[in-house]
Amino acid sequence: MTRSNLALLVLIACVAALPLFAGPYALRLGTIACMYAVLALSWNVVGGFAGYPSFATAAFFGFGAYATGVLLNDGVALTLSVVAALISSFALAALLGTVLLRLRGHYFAIASLSLVEVLREFVNNATDLTGGGMGLNIPLTSGSGILADASFFFFAMWGLLLATAFVVIAVSSSKLGFGLACIRQNETASNMVGLNATLYKSIAFGLSACFVSAAGGIYAAWVHYIDPSDVFDILYSVKPIVMALMGGLGSPFGVVCGALLYLGLEEVVWRNYIQIHSGVLGVLIVILLLFLPHGLTSLRTSMFWRKAKHV
Amino acid sequence: MSIPGKSAARAAGLPRLLLSLIVAAGCWQFSAAQASAEDVIRFGAPLPLTGPLAPEAVKQQQGYDLWAEQANKAGGISVGGKKYKVEIIYTDYQSNTPRAVQTTEQMITQDNVNFLFAPFGSGATKAVSSVSEKYKVPLIAPTASSAQVYDQGYKYLFGTFTPNDTLTTPLTEIIKAKAPEVKKVAILARNDLFPLAIAQEMEKSAKANGFEVVYFEKYAINTLDHSATLSQMKSLAPQWIFVTGYTNDLLLVRKQMVDQQIKAPVVTMIAGPAYPDFIEAAGQSAENLSSAAWWHPAEQYAGKDIFGSTSNFVKLFRDKYKSEPDYAQASAAVCGAIFQMAIERAGSLDRDKVRDELAKFDTVTFFGPVKFGSNGQINSLEPPVFQIQGAKPVVLSPQAIKQGEFRLGVN
Amino acid sequence: MLAVQVLINALLLGCLYGCIAIGFSLVWGVLNVINLIHGSFIVLGAYLAWAAYQWLSIPPWFALAIAAPLFFGLGYLLQQLVLNRVITAPVLVTLTLTFGLDLILNNVMIYYFKADYRKLTLSPPMGSVSILDVVVPVDRLLATASALALTGLLYLLLRRSRIGRAIVAVRLDRDAAVLMGVDVKSIYAIAFGLGAALAGCAGVLMSLIFPISPLTSATFLGKSFVVCVLGGLGSVSGALAGGLLLAFVEGFGSTLFGPSHAITLSFGLLIIFLIVRPQGLLGRKGFE
Repeated sequence: MTRSNLALLVLIACVAALPLFAGPYALRLGTIACMYAVLALSWNVVGGFAGYPSFATAAFFGFGAYATGVLLNDGVALTLSVVAALISSFALAALLGTVLLRLRGHYFAIASLSLVEVLREFVNNATDLTGGGMGLNIPLTSGSGILADASFFFFAMWGLLLATAFVVIAVSSSKLGFGLACIRQNETASNMVGLNATLYKSIAFGLSACFVSAAGGIYAAWVHYIDPSDVFDILYSVKPIVMALMGGLGSPFGVVCGALLYLGLEEVVWRNYIQIHSGVLGVLIVILLLFLPHGLTSLRTSMFWRKAKHV
Repeated sequence: MSIPGKSAARAAGLPRLLLSLIVAAGCWQFSAAQASAEDVIRFGAPLPLTGPLAPEAVKQQQGYDLWAEQANKAGGISVGGKKYKVEIIYTDYQSNTPRAVQTTEQMITQDNVNFLFAPFGSGATKAVSSVSEKYKVPLIAPTASSAQVYDQGYKYLFGTFTPNDTLTTPLTEIIKAKAPEVKKVAILARNDLFPLAIAQEMEKSAKANGFEVVYFEKYAINTLDHSATLSQMKSLAPQWIFVTGYTNDLLLVRKQMVDQQIKAPVVTMIAGPAYPDFIEAAGQSAENLSSAAWWHPAEQYAGKDIFGSTSNFVKLFRDKYKSEPDYAQASAAVCGAIFQMAIERAGSLDRDKVRDELAKFDTVTFFGPVKFGSNGQINSLEPPVFQIQGAKPVVLSPQAIKQGEFRLGVN
Repeated sequence: MLAVQVLINALLLGCLYGCIAIGFSLVWGVLNVINLIHGSFIVLGAYLAWAAYQWLSIPPWFALAIAAPLFFGLGYLLQQLVLNRVITAPVLVTLTLTFGLDLILNNVMIYYFKADYRKLTLSPPMGSVSILDVVVPVDRLLATASALALTGLLYLLLRRSRIGRAIVAVRLDRDAAVLMGVDVKSIYAIAFGLGAALAGCAGVLMSLIFPISPLTSATFLGKSFVVCVLGGLGSVSGALAGGLLLAFVEGFGSTLFGPSHAITLSFGLLIIFLIVRPQGLLGRKGFE
């Protein structure tokens, strides 16, 4: 295990201490933070390791939310529904991956983006199953106190984050991770040396979908009411990318740090500038990209580089 | 972003950055808690200032601000002989339901608001009410009409809009009486909670009154062009065209109806024509459009609230904003006025006492008689039906405030 | 008759879609940048036309002449000062950068113009002409004609002028263009400026037809995406072909299956196109 992966696990362990001293609102923020960390880590598998700019995160988030919501309404238990969402989205994504991942660069980006639109409109029109534009109500899973409820969903999301981190770390140090790195650097060459690129990419796409989908499921149970434009919000695709860029592409630790930093910035800006918060956020994104184009983790390496150059 | 020093940055740049951010956020929270002053009643109002619902945020805020200004001008709300100033905490929930839920919890736990206004629309209100219910904070919803919002057995949720069928039923009855030759109805609805719900009510009440529904379709939320849909509708020659959506959708549909030369004896649009900005933007093409809403400036109620009569509210609104109020602004303002009366009657800021006063509320306001049913939804209001005549909304029903006769023909 | 009417509608709409997408396509093709600020440029152009008509009584046709140089300057500066700094960075960086820029511009517009919908209503209205039961709205016809004229102008510029040839050269092979002595950075800035100018002009034309609000920018951007992929990147005629195809699919799709399925259909078509014919209707193979 590398130092940065160890740091990631330590960081996640620290987050778990939040309920010890925080109130329900901080727990809500913590739950959202864990959720975005899951999204960003998952995106990193296909976007960071394999180098495919995927915008499909929102598609699988919405898919998971609706799969879980529909199952919960049929009286299936929460854990079972989330697991079902996780497995089915893995299968769906792996299957779609065999087709979509033949595209590269911008073309893949657009195809994954349209996946969000297609799934959203599909849910919108499947009125009998999903309620369509009317949204879907999800029965309350527990009627216990405010804090108990908040901690329950916090730990559910946190547990998911931990699981995601383990899987992502396992991938990064496995043959799969090596294969994905080869694909990122030169796909044609990897194909020529006998790497089954299609299989690798499909698994990566499936992995990047399944935890997102589970997060969507927990989210649906948490908020009790979902509608297509909320859970298929394209920002669920864009934000993990910004987070990963902020933290440093490819490094799981950097990506999670990026998620926390982004949410922290967003929260502070959103609270303090009611009329112009999205503009201020835009300015911050632009500044970060212009002056730290390789994310926070480049803070360290760039120091070395500059020294080396002058020698 | 400053880096403390080369070696420090190398070793601990990232954790330190995160730490300082957390500290900064913590300090900020601390100062916010400090700022809460005495002798103030705080109301939390989540608004969709950005995102697709942004135009609605402006209206809600105008209503709240007008009420707060009037209440404070009169010295504030008197609670047990002591005057409290009104302070409204606004946040932007970005037209995004999860954000609305988040900000509601934030306002309750961080900003220490005493009472809450709901976000825009039925969906977000429903989601938010589960939070306010948990914290036992009274919540009045200015724009939630769907009955499904109120069927959860919540005790702290109240709303000032009657169910959707109270709009479509009187509308159908008027058309049936005034235009007996109208038989074929075409319905086009935005695939979204409120517009779709009201279209479904319309279909029900049309069928119940013997109309034939020849066309019923939904359009997706970001539809940019309706020409194909309208051409198809035209080929069915409906006599009554009923379109639901928000201002932008309805402006676009209306413009394209004119482009396609679609004419019908009756054209109804909900919820645009109640808004002065719709009438202004649609210009000549708004003429003879019919619609229904929960309130109309022509109403004449002698209220016991801070605004008094409907005409006084309209006057105050015109003075402040230089435009005509519509039902969205009036509903927001009356929510404040209702809270004020309930607090004064309770003689306390205790949330449960105020909630009990709201539950037994039965008073005439400038908005109309206000009495909440056992589910929290208002059941005392008779929504007016109106038609745009001479670039002005003219009330057709109820009889008591009728201003003109129904006119056939939309060109 | 219905079929003919739907066909005519689609024809007009298709040209407008092409007009919306062409600037986006140019920037993507030449700079390899997915320019997310494009939608907001269109809306800004629409506000310009609205303000010019409302306050100065300048009709939209003349507003085009104001919008073009103004937006060209804006785009040129934006490229020179901001985007050129990261132009060699991976796709995602430039994409996210334009995302940030779009947040800023959109917020500025919401702040100054408010979010409520404006409409540019010409007085007297232009109405529509009907030929044998088929109705053609005059303003759409004029907007379509202007859109065609604009695209024709761009085509000529790219084919005939020295700068245009340089832009095409950079689009086809950047490294070779550098060797031939083309100043790539300034070509990038000019191409981005042209893209912005086209977006601004498209906005002016759209103001005649659609309600104006900062909130519509995402819709315009979404259409640009689809049109670009359907038609093929970076080519003038490709954008028109893509626009027409999209409009036909939407028009006949919503007539046959109902309007709620129109968007599903168009995006389904997009995915199929990406897989089967990623170079688009008129694109050349091998250009990515």
